[in-house]
Amino acid sequence: MASQFTHRFGAVAAIAALVVVAVAATPPRAASHPSAASRDITFSDTRLKNGLRVIIAEDHHAPVYSIAVSYNVGSRNERRGRTGFAHLFEHMMFKGSENVGPGEHFMLIFNNGGNMNGTTNKDRTLYFESLPTNQLDLGLYLEADRMRSLVINKENLDNQRNAVQEERRLAVDNNPYGHTYEAIDSLAYDNFSYQHSVIGSMADLSAASVEDVQAFFRTYYAPNNAVIAITGDVKTADCLAKVKKYFESIPRQPDPEPVDMAEKPRTAERRLMMDDPLARLTRVDIAYNVPPSSDADDAALQVLATVLGSGRSSRFYEAVVHQAQLASGVFANKQETRGPGLFQVSSTLNPGKTTAELEKVIYAEIEKVKAAPPADWEVEKARATVKRGAVAALQSSLQRAAVMSQDALFYNEPGRINTAVSRFAAVTPADVQRVARKYLNAENRSVIITTPKAAAGRGGN
Amino acid sequence: MSSRPNQHAMLALALVLAATAAHAQGGQQAPPSSKAVVMKGKAPVNDKVLEVKLPRPKEGDLANGIHLIVLEDHRAPQVTFQLLIPGAGGYFDAPGSVGLASATAAMMREGTATRSTTQISEQLETMSSNVNVGTGMTSLDATVSGSALTENLDKLFDLASDILLHPTFPDEELAKYKTRTKTGLNQNRSFPGFLVQELFQRVMYGDDPASRLLMTPEQLDRVSRAAMVEFHKAKYVPDHAAIAFAGDISYDRAKQLVESKLGAWKKSGAAMVAAKDPPAIGPAKVWLVDRPSSVQTNFIVGTQAIERTNPDYNVLEVMNSVVGGGPTGRLFIHLREEKGYTYGAYSGLSAGRYRGTWSAQTDVRSDVTEPALKDLLGELVAIRDTTVPAKELQDRKRSLVAGFALSLESPQQVLNYYVTSWIYKLPADYWDKYPQRVMGVTAAQVQSAARKYLDPSRMQIVAVGDRKKVEEILRKFGKLEVYDTEGKKVIGVVP
Repeated sequence: MASQFTHRFGAVAAIAALVVVAVAATPPRAASHPSAASRDITFSDTRLKNGLRVIIAEDHHAPVYSIAVSYNVGSRNERRGRTGFAHLFEHMMFKGSENVGPGEHFMLIFNNGGNMNGTTNKDRTLYFESLPTNQLDLGLYLEADRMRSLVINKENLDNQRNAVQEERRLAVDNNPYGHTYEAIDSLAYDNFSYQHSVIGSMADLSAASVEDVQAFFRTYYAPNNAVIAITGDVKTADCLAKVKKYFESIPRQPDPEPVDMAEKPRTAERRLMMDDPLARLTRVDIAYNVPPSSDADDAALQVLATVLGSGRSSRFYEAVVHQAQLASGVFANKQETRGPGLFQVSSTLNPGKTTAELEKVIYAEIEKVKAAPPADWEVEKARATVKRGAVAALQSSLQRAAVMSQDALFYNEPGRINTAVSRFAAVTPADVQRVARKYLNAENRSVIITTPKAAAGRGGN
Repeated sequence: MSSRPNQHAMLALALVLAATAAHAQGGQQAPPSSKAVVMKGKAPVNDKVLEVKLPRPKEGDLANGIHLIVLEDHRAPQVTFQLLIPGAGGYFDAPGSVGLASATAAMMREGTATRSTTQISEQLETMSSNVNVGTGMTSLDATVSGSALTENLDKLFDLASDILLHPTFPDEELAKYKTRTKTGLNQNRSFPGFLVQELFQRVMYGDDPASRLLMTPEQLDRVSRAAMVEFHKAKYVPDHAAIAFAGDISYDRAKQLVESKLGAWKKSGAAMVAAKDPPAIGPAKVWLVDRPSSVQTNFIVGTQAIERTNPDYNVLEVMNSVVGGGPTGRLFIHLREEKGYTYGAYSGLSAGRYRGTWSAQTDVRSDVTEPALKDLLGELVAIRDTTVPAKELQDRKRSLVAGFALSLESPQQVLNYYVTSWIYKLPADYWDKYPQRVMGVTAAQVQSAARKYLDPSRMQIVAVGDRKKVEEILRKFGKLEVYDTEGKKVIGVVP
């Protein structure tokens, strides 16, 4: 939940959700759906002289276009003592550049009927905007100017440091279970790159200097470290010419060092008990270490998450919530990650129940999937979800831009959007059973129990 | 679409069609008077607001009273629908049965004459579809909504009509629903955002139905199967209902679908019920929920304003946009971009079928509680006492109007405009003329609306925070009442 931090509000909620959901538009499996058959997203894929990768996917459904710029930097690139830096930097990107004043970027976008935001996670930093089609120059100019010439000074930094520290209080420190989200990563990962949180620590945020920010900009905000995708109501040739005009003179920089993401294999379960003065109910979080999203097992793991924990027809819901009534909800998910991933389960206990009972039921359901493959309809649920995602992408130019720029960065495959349905169609019930056996084992899991601290936050209780 | 149509006020904010009144934007634009925003005026802006034509849906009335609205759009192979049933909302729950409407709506998908709750979940989720029956505690309507790929539409609508017409409210499922709902109700009290909203509603509306946010566990305990069966029979009637479709479907196909699946749903003869005026708001005060261990103070500052059909609606929309309707509003620019007190500061207009509210909202770290509240209140003084500069006003109006183009990406969003028109009986050309109305709003109108509605003697300050850290500060801003996180008054003057 708290793995993604954003600059502002509004459209980002939608986009954040879209980017983690697998999305596709691809030939249907049966001939009876001709409507989806012809809807592969076509695009151009160009590399400018300075290394900037440019994806353009033109369509003319609505007089709107969107830009997404994915920079190849996230909290995984941060070093000890400078956590929260990638996200703090994202805020700096709205504080002005050579030809754009502080705040002018978002003023111009909103004043002209557009929408925009920035968002940072462990793996990348994404900036995006949608605008009416007659403002193509505006969007490109704004993105190019800050890629070329961000203004970095102490005043801007102090100001946005405050905003980010407030964001941390809002999302983490003043929220029940806020610290639990951070603890999951620090318990389940040994490699620092994923072990620390995206939002960072208060002390590290306070320590960030202007020189740090300048060095970060030079290293990571270079054209050769970014992918720009433009989708919607544009003409490809005309749009590419404009991209060249605004971006091609921005100088290339040395490529950043690759990040070592390696994790050692696990040998024993890890367990942590936490007190939370802001919580009222006990919560159980379980994380299994799984491979990166580029792994061949990824689709099967996502199907497994659907079978176990997606919706009221899922096995966890039926067993934990509906039958045993141990909790009001239970969730399983496998987020998209470039490095080693986590298969996460979380549930908040009903009063009067024990975490031992809850864990027992969850593990029993996992053992059932290991013992026998799921039914066809359960696998079909996951396929249907991917199909719906594909259709949703047909309507939103912003969603297409975000997914395509990110897929280019993560997988070197901007058109991955077109193959998701077939990727999931290929997953069999036996695959789901196999990955459950391979990854959902006791020695491979980290368990956190968060207990309300009785003294405070509970009013009259 | 929201199940709380009185939230539709925010809708027009995000969208709207561009048209005639395209004023040149020029190179430089006067920002709010703050060094946090500097307009260098070098970025290439197209001065024209893109003219777009909003597609019109096809509408008609069916034999059993249902009004049908269809926005046909074949861009993507999917269909969404929403059925509105006036009178079945939580607003009309009697004081002794608060929560009955919400519980009934939630329980309808927990079993029908031919399907168990588990079968319903399996059938829906295998299509990656949904059917939601819902209502808010202050909604006048209940809604039944769903969406599916075109290839699954028949199956989806069959399920939806079964849930609508033949729910059985099984006792066993009711007990389970109560257990999990109580956990959620308990859990909500740990979130400051819930606590501040709960107290704000009470401060705005006293004991009026409009004050409700969620039922209490005790109210939930009182809900019985017999009461739900009775409620469903009396309130889920087609007499005044509307059903709206958007997407890959024609009017004729939608009509055939509704007539075949809901043809047996007969008129009951029930009269249309209306909301009543809420009681007038009391004198200005300060209200605090003591939440120990809080590291922030969460504020909602607001007062009662207008209903959706009030002629001042568009003026207040523009005024709200200036004060805090997004990141370009003064609250965000001053409290966040200039002072760094907060991650966000916004204002909103909530206008429905009874008198709604205008409010400003922000969350600040505890140690800047005093200056942040001063600055927030300072913006209310400024909008009342000072004329909005011409350029700023022009930019805010332009952003309301130019955003219409973006809404054209989503047939569902376009349909929402027309559902709003149906709910509030707006003129047929309401959305066509929206840009002219907004662009026609003057600075004098904005100021006079601010003076009329943002009355300091009625402006309520509601806060959630650690009493130890903020009580003395808040006392400087007016008479203080303090509540605990259970909603019980701890200290305060007698109202």
